[in-house]
Amino acid sequence: MFEVIEWFVFIIGLILITIGAICDLAGALGLVRFPNFFVRLHAATVGTIGGAVIPLFGIALVSAVSSQLGPFRWTVAGGAVIAAFLIMIVAPAGSHALAYAAHKAKVVPVEPKVCDLLEEHEKRKAKEAEKK
Amino acid sequence: MDTTYVLDIYLPVVFAVFLAAFTLYIIRIVKGPSVVDMALAVDCLAFDLAVFIGLLTLYFRTPFLIIGAIALALWAYILDIYIAKYFVRREVGE
Repeated sequence: MFEVIEWFVFIIGLILITIGAICDLAGALGLVRFPNFFVRLHAATVGTIGGAVIPLFGIALVSAVSSQLGPFRWTVAGGAVIAAFLIMIVAPAGSHALAYAAHKAKVVPVEPKVCDLLEEHEKRKAKEAEKK
Repeated sequence: MDTTYVLDIYLPVVFAVFLAAFTLYIIRIVKGPSVVDMALAVDCLAFDLAVFIGLLTLYFRTPFLIIGAIALALWAYILDIYIAKYFVRREVGE
C-alpha cells in the first residue's frame, strides 16, 4: 500500500517537472519572439511561474520519495518548497516594479496603445502642480 | 523506494529542454534593445537556474546543492528592485 502511494507521488512529481519544462520553453520562445517590452512581460511570467515554481514543487515531491538520497531527501524537499514559495512571491513583484519603472522613466514606448490611464493621471497631477 | 533508474533516463531529456530555454534567454540578453528587457531576461534566467540546480541535485544525488537555489531567487529580486529604483529616482539608494 505504502509503495503504491510512493509511486503515485513520484509520477505526479515527474508530471509537474514535465509541465515546467514545456512552460519554460514556451516562455523563452515568447521572450525572443514578442515585439516589445510590455508584451514580453507576459512571456516572462509564463517562464517564471510556470517554468520555475511548478517544477520546484515537482522536485520536492520526487525527492521526498527517492530513498537513494538518504535522510537528506527532506533537506532537498524543504529547500525546493522554500525556493518555490520565494519565487512565487518575488517574481510578480519584480516584474511589476520593472514595468512601473519602464513606464515612468519612458525607457520603452508604449506602442500598441488604446488607453493609458497612468500617463493621463500623471499629466493631470503635473498640471495641478503647475497651477499651484 | 529507489528511483535512480527512472531519473537517470528521464532527467537528461528535461536538461535538454532547459538548456534550449537558457539559449533563448541568452539571445534576448545579448540582443535586448533596452536595459529593462535585459533585466527581465536575466531575471527569468536566474529563476530557471534555481530549478536547474534542483534537477542537478536529483541527478547527482548531492543534497546540499539545493541551498544555492534559495540565494539565486533572492538575488534576481534584488537586481529587479535596484534597476527599477534607478529608473524611477535616478539614484541607487542604500
